[in-house]
Amino acid sequence: MKAKAFSKTYGRRRVLELPELELAEGRITAVIGPNGSGKSTLAKVLAGIERADEKRPILPGVSVGYLAQKSFPFRMSTEKNILTNGNDPARAAALMKALSIDALAGQSAKKLSGGETARMALCRILMNRYDLLILDEPTTAMDMESTLAAEELIRETCHETGCAVLLITHSISQARRIADRVLVLQQGELIEQGECQAVLSAPGKEETRRFLDFYGL
Amino acid sequence: MGSSIRKAIELILSADPELLNILSTTGKVCVTSSILALVIGVPIGILLGAERFPGRRVLLVLNRTLIGMPPVVCGLLFYMLFSGVGPFRRLHLLFTVKLMIIAQVVLITPIIVGVMETFVADTAPALRETTRGLGFGRLKEYRLLINECLYSIFSAYLLSFARAIAEVGAVAMVGGAIAWKTNVMTTAIMMYTNRGSFTLGIALGLILLTLSLLVNVVLSLMQGRLNR
Repeated sequence: MKAKAFSKTYGRRRVLELPELELAEGRITAVIGPNGSGKSTLAKVLAGIERADEKRPILPGVSVGYLAQKSFPFRMSTEKNILTNGNDPARAAALMKALSIDALAGQSAKKLSGGETARMALCRILMNRYDLLILDEPTTAMDMESTLAAEELIRETCHETGCAVLLITHSISQARRIADRVLVLQQGELIEQGECQAVLSAPGKEETRRFLDFYGL
Repeated sequence: MGSSIRKAIELILSADPELLNILSTTGKVCVTSSILALVIGVPIGILLGAERFPGRRVLLVLNRTLIGMPPVVCGLLFYMLFSGVGPFRRLHLLFTVKLMIIAQVVLITPIIVGVMETFVADTAPALRETTRGLGFGRLKEYRLLINECLYSIFSAYLLSFARAIAEVGAVAMVGGAIAWKTNVMTTAIMMYTNRGSFTLGIALGLILLTLSLLVNVVLSLMQGRLNR
């Protein structure tokens, strides 16, 4: 699927200007870049949470699921939260088990810790099928064990449903572990894109090299 | 003082008819007005908190002004509207329980709107980002938002009931504090104190405090359950 070229401006500050993007179905595309590079804005515009300057749909006819950086737990149990996005208790149970929150099924979601809330939110978004799944730093609040389980679940969902996944991440090692393709953003511009291993091992642009060097890779 | 309190307790225990009449009028005015204000104020507060539309800021300023409106000003306004020279004189509502309820609703509704607006304005953006990200429609979004608001609705009701039961200025002006007809606890306390008859005033004061305490305890328990 192709996302049309768009720009996003807040006040007088243009925070994002991107060319047409190709998002491959059944593949995971990681978006990396320093703070303020426009990663989350890209996610929000593609998800339709925020409007692009062009005021037209960027992905017409594409169903998009979006997991925000800070997930909102609804005032109900963990299990009911997950079931708000699809009435399939067996699938909900399987997802909760995969992310080790099955013991918290009956607990109020408002009382979950940050990491548990992040796992609940990932289960919730994975209950439904979307053409494009946008995950904005889904594992930031999780410990390493949960992060690896979440990555496995994202990979499985992507391959089984054939949806395109756009993963916003700060972690280069996560991109390396899970992503097929990578987009590198800097100051609101796409500076490099390509196959993940190729870009991370041998970046073609000086800015990408500097960014990766900064992260010690 | 001690003998007045003893006599007041005796009056309560003997179920004095005048006391019962005042209690019944107070209950009618406070419960009806606070429920009506809740029914009107909650949707308005949610809309003002959740939506952005032209004129919203003006409405918010207007509501904040109404929250601070002195009850006697509200009473005066209704007195003028419904008195013999007012535009609504033919409705014959002055010095009736109905007009006391209407005046209370006007006083209480802005409080409920304010409480709801503050809570929803704080909650709605994060909730909306999540519901839109999940692809939920507006109806489901609002159902979930209202579910988030239950605790605040009880808080708003608690505040509005407390204001209604303690209010004296407006109900005294539009009700006239007529014995056996429009006398509520606060107006009766004022009336009997002015007459130098402290016993009934103290009895009513004790009941008012006890009622206020009971309502607060019950609502706090309910809030605790909702917050679980």
